[in-house]
Amino acid sequence: MSNGLILGLMALLFLGLGYLGVPVAFALMAGVLAATALTPVSFPSIIGQMFHGIDSEALLAVPFFLLVGELMTSAEITQRMIVLSQTLVGHFRGGLAQVITLFSMFFAGISGSSTADVAVLSRTIAHDMDREGYDRAFTAALIASASTMANLIPPSIMAVVYGATGGVSIGGLFLGGVVPGVLIGIGLMIYSHFFGPVGVKRSRATLPEIGSAARRAALPLIIPIIIMGGILTGWFTPTEAGMVAVIYIVAVLIPLLRREHIRKLPGDFVYAGMLYAIPLAAVAGASAFGWMLAYLRGPDVVAGWIAAYAGTSAIKIMFLLAALFVIVGDFVDAVPAIIIFMPIIIRLTELGDINPVHMGVVIVTTLVFGLITPPYGLSLLVASKFVGVDFGRAMRRSLPLYVVFFAAITFTVLFPKVVLWLPKQFLPESVGCFKNPSGTGYLCP
Amino acid sequence: MVLCGASIIGFTVSVLLDVVTRTIGHPWLWLQQVTTGFFAYGVFVGMAAATRRNDHLYLTEITRRLSGGMRTAFEMFARLVVLAVAVAMVWFGYKNFLLDLGSFRMPSMIPLGVYTISVPASGVLIGLFALEQLANGWRRGFEGPEDRDAFMVTPE
Repeated sequence: MSNGLILGLMALLFLGLGYLGVPVAFALMAGVLAATALTPVSFPSIIGQMFHGIDSEALLAVPFFLLVGELMTSAEITQRMIVLSQTLVGHFRGGLAQVITLFSMFFAGISGSSTADVAVLSRTIAHDMDREGYDRAFTAALIASASTMANLIPPSIMAVVYGATGGVSIGGLFLGGVVPGVLIGIGLMIYSHFFGPVGVKRSRATLPEIGSAARRAALPLIIPIIIMGGILTGWFTPTEAGMVAVIYIVAVLIPLLRREHIRKLPGDFVYAGMLYAIPLAAVAGASAFGWMLAYLRGPDVVAGWIAAYAGTSAIKIMFLLAALFVIVGDFVDAVPAIIIFMPIIIRLTELGDINPVHMGVVIVTTLVFGLITPPYGLSLLVASKFVGVDFGRAMRRSLPLYVVFFAAITFTVLFPKVVLWLPKQFLPESVGCFKNPSGTGYLCP
Repeated sequence: MVLCGASIIGFTVSVLLDVVTRTIGHPWLWLQQVTTGFFAYGVFVGMAAATRRNDHLYLTEITRRLSGGMRTAFEMFARLVVLAVAVAMVWFGYKNFLLDLGSFRMPSMIPLGVYTISVPASGVLIGLFALEQLANGWRRGFEGPEDRDAFMVTPE
């Protein structure tokens, strides 16, 4: 049987079994095992790939960033950041919608999990929006869209997975994600202001009120400084920065701000312990799938198709890859998608002579869009369930918000200098700069 | 579930000790191997726990629209696929384990098999949980992934 046929069978089995209710990790493995039977590859080596897929120190950051989000949510410390957001933007038109977006930007700097963001907002502000007469479908659509920033503004779990599997600087990806993340935030605020529901008009918070809210939120807002500060100064790896953030929450935040939550901490750890295994189980399956894809020369085939249309033009390659990932993100979860397609991404990055950090930011920005698109828009699925609205209605209400994401993706592709400006300033070596041999500073290609 | 909690506490402590010992100038190099061990065991034990609780990532667009006998048939089929993968994890994972007993991780010289045994061990648990779900589902009907608490959907 030809490689193309085996590839097709493997992909068909994965998607077919997945949509028939087999968990993603097992659907991936079933597809790979079927393909293995048709190739000279040995079964033990394919099962071994499951282990090797997660045997990476960089992936250790994933549970820490999840644990940070879980602890902050469970201890209800996030409420202080919601109050701060209300004092800052609550008086605008569509005040609570603006609060959702601003809070998501704050929370994105603490947790790398969109689902944790959806959970916080659905349990808090969504009820207030209901009382103020906001359409529930709009509330769910906005919460889901805003939650995507958690995977762009550092720390980001998708960036960790991308960096770990693609050998790209995770710090560079973190910093590169800031521009599209903030763009999406600003876009959602503009949309809510001009096209969203009016909501209840509030008076502007006074400076003392803002100061008081900022003081109460100051301790939680130190977490982004710990994480990014530690990484940028070279004190910590992303994994260690996540661990330090966890220790800070457990040893400082909870005893000072929510002492009564201390006895619930073991439960939080147990819960987070299983929570991190879920995406990493998919990583294990996807690693075997990606390995087989590479063995069957899938990257050559897809790279050949894309190169036939795009040649070696970096912009065309990135737009075609973005289009591919918009489709892929509709059907497959982002984490396995990154790992499965990594060999293809690497090949095309070389072909177009694209900066790997820039390519990573484009791919992650495209994949976060998949969190709100049907049929597998994870954030939208969770938000619609929590808010109590039909998924189809929430999806229709989110359609105009797609424009914001398309604009962010287009900007990210077209303006690499803007996207890479922060990494160049703070982590020049992450984007290929090297120390000037004749003195101080860096030389960048 | 408790084992998953133990593993995350385990590698939090080991990463903390790694940073502390490195900062004071006396690094314990073997700590990284301990961390990786906790992490791998956590992932594969968690994979089994998530199987029992129907908490994996799902793409259940077809089955969520079904009911009655057709739904039962699809749910059974899904568990049988999980069972088949679990059997492969046990059998081929065990073969890897035997092979990996001869490879060692530096600098601690821990056999690689100590880590890779997590795969067949997880396969055994997943297989048992799949059988349990098949037996319970046959008698009392299946609980689909969309019936669970939405917050337990994947963390991403």
